[in-house]
Amino acid sequence: MTDVARNAPLTSLGKQLVAGSLSDLALMRATEATANYAILPWVNVVKIGGQSIMDRGRSAVYPLVEEIVSNLGRHKMILGTGAGTRARHIYSLAIDLGLPTGVLTVLGTAVAWQNAQMLHYLLAQHGIPFIEPEGFNTLPHYLMERHAVICQGMPPYKLWEPNPEKGRIPPQRTDTGCYLIAEVFGARKMIYVKDEDGLYTGDPKKNAAFEHIPRISVEELLERDLDDLIVERAVLEFMVRARNMREIQFVNGLKPGQLTAALNGEPVGTIIYRNGDPR
Amino acid sequence: MSLDDRGTQHVQSQLMCESLVDKGVIARTESPVCAILPDVNVIHIGGRSIMDRGRSALMPLLDEIVANQQQHRMIIGVGAGVRSRHIFSVGLDLGLPTGALAALSAKDAAQNAYMVSCLLAKHGFVYLEAPFVVQLLPAMLAAARGAVFNGIPPYSLWEHPPAVGKLPPHGGDAGSYLMAEVFGARSIILLKDVDGLCTADPKIDAQARLIPEITTQELTRQKFSTLPIEPVVVELMGRARLARTIRLINGLVPGNLTRALAGEEIGTVVRA
Repeated sequence: MTDVARNAPLTSLGKQLVAGSLSDLALMRATEATANYAILPWVNVVKIGGQSIMDRGRSAVYPLVEEIVSNLGRHKMILGTGAGTRARHIYSLAIDLGLPTGVLTVLGTAVAWQNAQMLHYLLAQHGIPFIEPEGFNTLPHYLMERHAVICQGMPPYKLWEPNPEKGRIPPQRTDTGCYLIAEVFGARKMIYVKDEDGLYTGDPKKNAAFEHIPRISVEELLERDLDDLIVERAVLEFMVRARNMREIQFVNGLKPGQLTAALNGEPVGTIIYRNGDPR
Repeated sequence: MSLDDRGTQHVQSQLMCESLVDKGVIARTESPVCAILPDVNVIHIGGRSIMDRGRSALMPLLDEIVANQQQHRMIIGVGAGVRSRHIFSVGLDLGLPTGALAALSAKDAAQNAYMVSCLLAKHGFVYLEAPFVVQLLPAMLAAARGAVFNGIPPYSLWEHPPAVGKLPPHGGDAGSYLMAEVFGARSIILLKDVDGLCTADPKIDAQARLIPEITTQELTRQKFSTLPIEPVVVELMGRARLARTIRLINGLVPGNLTRALAGEEIGTVVRA
């Protein structure tokens, strides 16, 4: 087992990796200092909400599709979809049946997949493909040729989804799946298209008195420990550790032009950013 | 189905219109979980600790698995080993992100799992990729004698960014553990090349003593400099609903697996 270390021209970190224990904190820290290479630095990951956009049907989806099409020549996009009300239904049913979180992930993934398929039918005439997680290696080609691809937003964890701290709902769902796509490719932007102007001090659907937050650091947001959020908590937790995606933006997909403005780099909606930069 | 005043078409359910991020809503979803495959034992074969040693380590272990087949149903997860260490080294040197390293490393564990399945094929074991574990595992266990799977979970490009450094936090131990948790397995036994968790790394310190039993809280509190399991497993166990104990045993000692399957107290048991 030491042959690799003796014969191959490994870096000094490489020698430690081959010989040492991966649970050794000193070794983990040593990997910290390595360079970051952005795989697709020009791509924008755009997540289309399930309950907030897709479940509304034509009135919300058609104008958004039009806006996506009008941006095709100017911005390259990975379009991920959320799940929505059908996921809420099947989560309720599955919880009632005593099924574990991993099974809920398999079920919820199917709902995000349905929404991605529907979006795909609407964008098919523009040559935009739907790709499964297993087909992600073809993604650079489609982005160069057709400027966008569609995928379902759930990370492909299937039965391997870790349990949440409380309850049974999968903690890493479509917000997280899309964020991790942006992180791994070193994307230009991560934009969430929902049905609100961004983040509020509480759920604006339940109380109109909550205030809009145009810009906030992820550290401050975590510190506030709000009961409800516009985004899955896992996204905020990963943002703190991320090496590439230091900013995410939330826009209102029901207001024409907001997605375009965000793609153009304008500070619409809410921006959550990471303070300072330890990495 | 119903239409709310803002035009969303809803399906009636307990969670209808709710924010799944809301702490109150999340707390309401706590209830007992059923075990899907309660009589199955998950056996994890370490990559570097067992597989990389080749025939001398692996063959006696596989003989022992076959000898126990009549009494105990087993699904076998296999980890990656030194090849992953090598590709981590090259990948880090190239600046590749954690998700890319995870996708690459999973292939090493897949190779190891495939070799194990070939060696066990004549005894009726099959190799299942993740999508087939999802769809076919119960059918395969009814038809075949056992199954071998890739210990590394199928997170691939979607691997979590680690708290420290850049290496993928979920390796073979984590994936095998998560299988035991989601199926509500009878036991999860991790086969390594040390007797269990020791007071220090027994490969370095001859004074190291075996710890026969420890809780995850104690494990976290004591801050061991290295562990014989992936640290993320300890974290995952903190949120266990079904797989609340794991057992670490020395897979190089003949008879250990048989004893562990029979419920004997050997190696180290970690309790959530």
